[in-house]
Amino acid sequence: MAAEIMTVEVAQASAAGMKAIGAGLAVGLSGFGAGIGEMGIGAAAMGAVAENKDMFGIALLFTVLPETIVIFGLVVALLLMFQ
Amino acid sequence: MFQPESMSRLLIVASKQQLEPVITELYRMNIFHIDDYVEKGDGEWEGFRIGMPLAGADVTSAALVKIRSIASAFGISKDTVSDAERSSINVLKQRIEQDLPAIAEEVEKLLAKKTKYESMVKEYEQRIEALRPFIDAPAPLELLQGYDTISFIAGYAKESVNLSIPYEKWESSSKTSPFTILAVKNSDVSTAERELLDFQFQKVQIPQETGSASQVIQEYEQKIEVLNKELAGISEQMETIKNRHEFFLMSSEEFLTGNVEQAEAPLRFATSELTFSVTGWVPSSKVTKVFENLDKVCAGKVYVSELEVEDYNEMPPVEYNNPDFAHPTELFMDLYSRPRYTELDPSLLMAIVFPIMFGLILGDVGYGIVLLVLSLGLRSLVKGSEAGMQLVAVLRNCSISSIIFGILFSECFGFSLPWQPFWLSRHINIGGSGAAEHALEEAATHGMAATAEHVSHIPQLLVLSIWIGILHITLARIWGVRNAAVMDHGHHRNLKMFANIGWIMVMWGILIAIWANFPIPLMPDLSGTPQIIAGLNASTIAGIVILVIGLALIARENVLDLMEVPTIISNVLSYTRLIAVGLSSVAIAMVTNFIAIDMIINPQLANLSIIGIVLIIAGVVVFLFGHTLNTALGVLGGGLHPLRLHYVEFFTKFYRGGGKKYNPFGMVRKLIEQN
Repeated sequence: MAAEIMTVEVAQASAAGMKAIGAGLAVGLSGFGAGIGEMGIGAAAMGAVAENKDMFGIALLFTVLPETIVIFGLVVALLLMFQ
Repeated sequence: MFQPESMSRLLIVASKQQLEPVITELYRMNIFHIDDYVEKGDGEWEGFRIGMPLAGADVTSAALVKIRSIASAFGISKDTVSDAERSSINVLKQRIEQDLPAIAEEVEKLLAKKTKYESMVKEYEQRIEALRPFIDAPAPLELLQGYDTISFIAGYAKESVNLSIPYEKWESSSKTSPFTILAVKNSDVSTAERELLDFQFQKVQIPQETGSASQVIQEYEQKIEVLNKELAGISEQMETIKNRHEFFLMSSEEFLTGNVEQAEAPLRFATSELTFSVTGWVPSSKVTKVFENLDKVCAGKVYVSELEVEDYNEMPPVEYNNPDFAHPTELFMDLYSRPRYTELDPSLLMAIVFPIMFGLILGDVGYGIVLLVLSLGLRSLVKGSEAGMQLVAVLRNCSISSIIFGILFSECFGFSLPWQPFWLSRHINIGGSGAAEHALEEAATHGMAATAEHVSHIPQLLVLSIWIGILHITLARIWGVRNAAVMDHGHHRNLKMFANIGWIMVMWGILIAIWANFPIPLMPDLSGTPQIIAGLNASTIAGIVILVIGLALIARENVLDLMEVPTIISNVLSYTRLIAVGLSSVAIAMVTNFIAIDMIINPQLANLSIIGIVLIIAGVVVFLFGHTLNTALGVLGGGLHPLRLHYVEFFTKFYRGGGKKYNPFGMVRKLIEQN
């Protein structure tokens, strides 16, 4: 029965929907991962900066390290949506 | 440029009679960075000890402490005082001797009075608070205490109190927690208190006053009023003193700070019984000036000589030597770590690349103008703080770059400007711009062919950002070669130089191998080169050869570094954030416009009604809120991501940092005359 309803338009639309879901998952899950990664680093970096203000540069550097993964997710999502 | 200011090391030796003129002159010149003399360890000279402060240091310090305490009481600082005029040193000296003690005494007296009155006001206020519950009490306060057989208990109960012992009570009319006064026999007090616990009774001390509570409160309120008047008078007097002496106080603070620093300078010198000696650093261009000036003030009785410097790696203090427009970026360098004396100072490059990256992310004329206005407005606010000024200047440069990229991308608050984007477009069609173009929206968002206006070049833009990454990282590695050549020694130096070249080769080898197999927009297409063996074409083989040589060079320095090879790919791909974060800001702007204008405002405009007007106002609020949020996100994203690209991807390849700040002995005078 499903085969009877499945027209070209429906197939295209569902393919587009899958793409959108994929893009959402790419950004969402990678954001989740980066969040977990930055959680510990951020807390430790705060502590380090509170102890010694000169640590700010290095602390920032370490804190933002995991967030590259979100950017990758974002790029994958953009490629999915716009290519 | 790309190198810190060149420094020379000077040795100054003279007899102790010349100590004062030498210190005064060095302080005046404000270019000599003193190397503190250490009595123990490598720097020790036999027979030399750390010097004693000049005479009068303690007196000056005492006066300085006095002035600073007055200044903090008045809340004045050097930055709040106008520096339009300058006081002469002779007048200042005289006034410090004559006027300062009197002013200090007056201020001290006023302050003491003020504290006393303030504490009295506080005490009266506390008493009034304690009296307040008794306002409605049926008897004057003196009748509630001082009996031999009866005690009074006062306080708040949760409900009406009922005790098993003989008692009399009075309750206020409040229902929720009535204020209760109980009279019980002295012998029953402990029983009463225990039973009162069941009523969650909160005891209140009965004030030791005479008369009715409201009367007493009135008396205290009158007293407070009198005191407040006195306090206002004191504030007025203080204000007068402040206005009259503000400039004198701050200029003498500056003068005395200078004196104390000079008086304490010998603590950093090496002294013997009759002589002293000091080493320090001076910018090479100013060495002759030091020679001449010291010679003049000591009438030739001083020996100054330029010392040979053996190891430049650690010792000299570092002063930036950049063109004016690169000065603000030095803030970011100091935030990370000041460059060492011998290494390349990347602030100039950062001053150029950072705003470009910011512009790529926040390329929008509207946001650019908002930030430009903001940075110009903030300028007067951060006056006096050097870091603040630098930050504002960076923001200004970045917003100008934003405007330029906004013109190129044809964007203003998420709308397009009346021209097509130059070269590459970031326009994405979110939600479409009306029913008629609904079909177009479908086309653009679902990746099918769209009309020229809405074609976005997102893959091309991503490739462009990867190009920026490739070039940035290649440059970093080239600088790595240079730094290794200058800063390292012996066998290690060559290994390190070649390892850096190896990293470049691995990166470009991978690139060539990719180009040989996959055609990518905006990148050379080498897939047409003839095949040689096993289906691999010439370019692939060339790429692999370069890659392998590169790996070998890296492994020669440290085999474990091979583990880091995948970071080449992640580092280069990390630059795609320039476009990705930028697109997210474009998307937020467009979504804001779509919600505010197409969904809320336009339908109401077509059919105007009273509710419609309210909705239109709501739409405007949504519009403003969305764009304010996006501006803030844009500054954060546009500022932090380029900063991170510099710190993580760029600096880690070549930069070492850890230089000592050049901190010359002296002071930039703001309020007193130079001589």
